[in-house]
Amino acid sequence: MKQPRSQLALAAIALLLGLLVVVQLRAQQAGTGLETQSSQDLTLLIANLTTRNDQLRGEVADIQDQLDAMAAANARGETSVGRLRGELERARTWSGEDPASGPGIRVLLFGGVPAAAISDLVNELRNAGAEAISIGGVRVVVGTTPVGAPGALSVEGTPLGPRVEVMAIGNPAVLTGGLTRAGGLVAQLQARYEEVLVEVTPLDVVAVPAAGRSLAPVRGVPRP
Amino acid sequence: MTTLGARVRSIPSWQVALAGALVALGFLVAAQARTEAPRVRYTTQERAPLVETVVALQAQQEALKDRILELRAEMAAAEQGAAGSGALVSDLTAAVEAARIAAGLVALEGPGIVLQLEDSQVPVPPGESIAEYRVGARDLRLIVEELWLAGAEAVSVNGERLVPTTAFVDIGGTLLVNSAYLAPPYQIAAIGEPELYAALVASPGFVELVRARADQYGIRISFAEPDRVTVPAYAGTVTLRYARPPAPDATPEP
Repeated sequence: MKQPRSQLALAAIALLLGLLVVVQLRAQQAGTGLETQSSQDLTLLIANLTTRNDQLRGEVADIQDQLDAMAAANARGETSVGRLRGELERARTWSGEDPASGPGIRVLLFGGVPAAAISDLVNELRNAGAEAISIGGVRVVVGTTPVGAPGALSVEGTPLGPRVEVMAIGNPAVLTGGLTRAGGLVAQLQARYEEVLVEVTPLDVVAVPAAGRSLAPVRGVPRP
Repeated sequence: MTTLGARVRSIPSWQVALAGALVALGFLVAAQARTEAPRVRYTTQERAPLVETVVALQAQQEALKDRILELRAEMAAAEQGAAGSGALVSDLTAAVEAARIAAGLVALEGPGIVLQLEDSQVPVPPGESIAEYRVGARDLRLIVEELWLAGAEAVSVNGERLVPTTAFVDIGGTLLVNSAYLAPPYQIAAIGEPELYAALVASPGFVELVRARADQYGIRISFAEPDRVTVPAYAGTVTLRYARPPAPDATPEP
């Protein structure tokens, strides 16, 4: 009599235990804030991750092609001077050590523009895929941060004056659309700062200068 | 001892198993209750596949980034190997390596600080937005800007190296930096002069930020000053589709 009942109890406990272990493990697995997101936000996140993963796949293919070309050139006994020059140019243009030009947009901001508005703009341009940016003729590199009171802004030590000109290289239609869409950054800026006027112009050729300072790390050393 | 041993032996094994199972059950119930507690959980049926898709995409992304770093290391090694074949090639190879370091394509190690930002644990008062009580893209960006102004020379957020193309974007309640979806706690690692921490906390902009976000909404900000701070390499795309060097023909030969 006692034996079957105890087995039944054990089976029930084991079942419950198993269920709880699974629920707990799943909760921990998804414990990255995702479980608190709405379906709409998750869908948006999926779209973004998909696009960005595609870009990363493109980068993998690109480096793989370069490696193959290198191997082929080595096999033919060719020197790699041309390839190295191309690689040098690309890295320096991308980082801002070299000047750049290409299609893009000009954004003019008038009237008591706060520093935060300029950094909001730069962030939005980067998000829309800008490849090179300048503020008031100063190249924006990693760490470039506008400072100062409205009307007396400066960037990398260069004063900006009352009218701020921001240039960005990238797809002109995408950059313009990203800024001027309904509820986009231009609308937000004009709602937040009543006296600020923003003018966006697509251009066939935009030129941005090289960075005015060295980008080589002083305290950081490359990690092997 | 012998009597106790005899008593233990006399307990049927199924009772021991049951007791063990009940203890485990108790722990799990407690753990489950704690997991459920902090935030509202959506329980609709269609969300589970969405969460699974996000998790799968994140795993794909991690693999792609690892592959990019692997291939770049392979390329640098191949270049170094060929650098012995003449002064011009070895000069160019050294220049390429320096340009990659300046661009953030190489991991750095040095003195610095690590800041940690976490969502508020303060209950959100009725009528207020939960967004104010969470660490948002703008919070991270403003903190990072303060770090640059304080003299940081290399910064990463949860392992994402900040580069000239880095944007901080809110997507609903989530946060994208470079290609990556980040979740709290946010750890900002910065390499710079030993005075970095002192310069940061003395900055009026930083003090204002702490007042506005930590004091007012309970966003948690903490610091660490380890001996060495590591800032990883950028594992993303450096392909330029629109930007070109101006008038390449006019560039003098090196």
